[in-house]
Amino acid sequence: MPFNQKPQKFNASINTVEIGCGDKAIKLGGECTFPFYTFDAPMENAPKIGVEVSDLGIASNIPGIQKFYEGASTIGEIAKKAETMEGADFVCLRLEGGDPNGVNKSIDELIEVVKEVAEAVTCPLVVEGCKNVEKDTELLPKVAEVLQGKNALVMSAREENYKAVGAAAGLAYNQKVGAESAVDINLAKQLNVVMTQLGVKAQDIVMNVGSAAVGYGFEYVVSTMDRIKGAALSQNDNMLQMPIITAVADEAWSVKEAMATEEDMPEWGPLEERGISMEVQTAAAVLASGSDAVILKHPQSVATISKMIKELM
Amino acid sequence: MFKVTFKFESGEDVTTFAQENENLLEVARKVNVAIDAPCGGNASCGKCKVKILEGNIDSPKTRHISDEEYNGGWRLACVSKVTGDVAVQVPDIASAYRSRMKVADLSSKEEIKIFENAKNDIEAAGIALTNSMGILDIEMNVPTLDDTMPDNERFIRAIKKKTGAARVRLPFQVLNKIARIFRESAFQVRCVIRTSANKDDIFVYDVYPKDAEVVIGGLAVDIGTTTVSALLINMETGKIIGKASAGNGQIRYGADVINRIIESMKPEGSKKLQDAVIKETINPMIEQMCRASGFNPDHIYRMCVAGNTTMNHLLTGMEGDPIRMEPYIPTFYKTNSLFASDIGIRINRDAHIIIAPNIGSYVGGDITAGVLVSMLWNRPEFSLFIDLGTNGELVFGNSDFMMSCACSAGPAFEGGDISCGMRATDGAIEACTIDKETMEPSYRVIGEEGQKPIGLCGSGIIDVIAELFRTGIINPKGKFIREGKRIRHDRYGMGSYVLAFEEEAGSVKDVEINEVDIDNFIRAKGAIFSAIRTMLASLDFDVEMIDDVYVAGGIGSGINMRNAVRIGMFPDIPLEKFHYIGNSSLSGAYTMLLSREAERKCYDLASNMTYLELSAVPTYMDEFVACCFIPHTDTSLFPSCTQE
Repeated sequence: MPFNQKPQKFNASINTVEIGCGDKAIKLGGECTFPFYTFDAPMENAPKIGVEVSDLGIASNIPGIQKFYEGASTIGEIAKKAETMEGADFVCLRLEGGDPNGVNKSIDELIEVVKEVAEAVTCPLVVEGCKNVEKDTELLPKVAEVLQGKNALVMSAREENYKAVGAAAGLAYNQKVGAESAVDINLAKQLNVVMTQLGVKAQDIVMNVGSAAVGYGFEYVVSTMDRIKGAALSQNDNMLQMPIITAVADEAWSVKEAMATEEDMPEWGPLEERGISMEVQTAAAVLASGSDAVILKHPQSVATISKMIKELM
Repeated sequence: MFKVTFKFESGEDVTTFAQENENLLEVARKVNVAIDAPCGGNASCGKCKVKILEGNIDSPKTRHISDEEYNGGWRLACVSKVTGDVAVQVPDIASAYRSRMKVADLSSKEEIKIFENAKNDIEAAGIALTNSMGILDIEMNVPTLDDTMPDNERFIRAIKKKTGAARVRLPFQVLNKIARIFRESAFQVRCVIRTSANKDDIFVYDVYPKDAEVVIGGLAVDIGTTTVSALLINMETGKIIGKASAGNGQIRYGADVINRIIESMKPEGSKKLQDAVIKETINPMIEQMCRASGFNPDHIYRMCVAGNTTMNHLLTGMEGDPIRMEPYIPTFYKTNSLFASDIGIRINRDAHIIIAPNIGSYVGGDITAGVLVSMLWNRPEFSLFIDLGTNGELVFGNSDFMMSCACSAGPAFEGGDISCGMRATDGAIEACTIDKETMEPSYRVIGEEGQKPIGLCGSGIIDVIAELFRTGIINPKGKFIREGKRIRHDRYGMGSYVLAFEEEAGSVKDVEINEVDIDNFIRAKGAIFSAIRTMLASLDFDVEMIDDVYVAGGIGSGINMRNAVRIGMFPDIPLEKFHYIGNSSLSGAYTMLLSREAERKCYDLASNMTYLELSAVPTYMDEFVACCFIPHTDTSLFPSCTQE
């Protein structure tokens, strides 16, 4: 019997969210099939890759990363360099220095950093807060304000501060809003519901449903993303049709496999290889589970994932 | 040693002595001063507030106490250490407990209607309303010098002759008084007997003179984690002689079963808990009911208890720890070997105590008794039985099968874990509506005309949350999104809605509901609804298939089903399918007492009920999170719930 392919096409699709302006603007989402099921229907937009830079500069001890940014000293120069990374679609600025339990930079200082980066790059910009809810509640609306006209993605509004962040980024300053939840389909949906009830357009929301490094309870991540795409496409659940962005770098580079030095763990081999491996595996897995964009750090990871996407499209 | 005095608002006081640094709540417990501590003294519920009148105690300020209250001398008893002579005031909410024992006025038909209904339903199902107890008139020959048979033998022979029984048993109590009674009434007596099912064995409970008016008393008791209620009945006619309810004296050892089990494992603990429920709760209730109706407690010859598995174990003084620990095995599901004298219940010492059978560690006799009178087992249509208590228990099924499960709803339905929560007593707001435009509330308060609100009981909380949601004051997450005179935010940004400002309230502070309260309640209702969904899903059923929903429990007859559906606690099916059946555990115990067949039926139901352990169902947690939203993350499940 000949093989008869039955394309699994859905009548629903993931929202298309555009970030950035001009030629370099990117589109996230838009697909009406499961990830990379190009045999069912073409994928509207290829998944995108962002390069993470931090307001703390190049704090990395990884030679490959240090080498890539060689010569760049200011945050503007670093961001400019990041933009040129092969396979990169956007730059993600993490304001981790704002954390009150860390360096605790003032909001004014951080806003200066945002301005500098915004001026330096031409590609779309994603800005992530410091993860401290109180600080972010104050910081992110200011970020949204200073980036007016840039059509940036502001990450992240959470259940605790979606009103302040969502209202500023999504309503007042016409940016895109990242909605962050902790690896749970229902919590992700609930945040989207309350955010849209606040008045933020569903088409302006990108979900960050959380992640883990592979091997660290990652099955929850797979299951969550998988079911979100399932509900969005097969049940046409428009409160789950937002594209997904996943910050991989932070997770992948903060597990022991990517931190223990070679002196401590000679049998594990070189640290850099391990880190890249964690980052690549995690990114590949979240993309295969339904992420529409990933944020990475190492040039080699970016190149590898970019190649993977091209070949799977 | 320091002197500690507890003063009640009623003017009474209790004085005791304490060691330096002794915990004030512990001191109170030792002398049976009831301070409400649903969390068991963990400083998490903020209910054990006391006010310093004289002296001082070492007590940190917690988040439950405002600056104003702290300056006014209010402290949490559970974090207070005695450092010198001190006198504290125990607020009325706590003294209300002690005086909460209530003997019902049976002159109104309302009080007994529910039991009449239960009796009629049982009879209509073809169950004979006859029990093993009976009255027997016996005439014996008066002994002479030629007829020297001892009294007991004479008595036993006469009974055997009259009934044909092969065996007659006289307990010591009876033996002890026959000499006097026989001679006073010329060897013509009446006796109270129990006949075995095969009529072969007779047990004599009591002997009366020939002309005595004999009423066989029976006692049905529902032992709830929070409230105990009881019925005194005439076992021949089914007539209700007395009805009473009281707070379970074990409350001061923790609000939920787990805390009580932990408490019972301390040295002397199980004795203390047993005393709390028997000596301080059940016996005084018996006394009061008997006094009110002029009944002799010794004439109560049989007792039926319905309670959850833990309550049954603590009543009988048995170890509760195996119930708490994996694999959760109780000592018994049912037992036939319990007599009043074994555990010191102040009724006839030979009275048999029957216990409605447990089904699992967390589904107990209160549920089997409740299912018995819900008549769920007698209909081909599918019904859902829900008992809303500290533990939510569900039974779903029909005449062919029954499935049960339990979920931990927490104390929210009874007002625990809610800052202004209280049980459904005087001063509790039991119903509420909110005007959409002005955001002003109007409410109904339990108690006499003019009673001012003190707090919110379960049905009131349902109403307030449903109304806050309907009027768009809170979002589906339970967070405040409108501003107004009655909406406040504390310095951490947490919102609250004031139902009654201090001057409108019957207490020293505002009656309000805050985001944490709403969150706690959303979790409680989420536990119930997710349990319903999970159990139905395990049977591949849909909520559409439910024909009737029977809601039982102490949440109060004031429960507004429309609002309970609106907040996503119950499935969105036509409202006429919901029936509030009150304390079905007590009416179940009542029918078990009246009818031998009903008692059998109850054992039968227990052994035919399948128990579903929700924690073993992988999708339960997911379902639960989806339910922690008003009304539900999947709004298509609640088509009739809309925000205005």
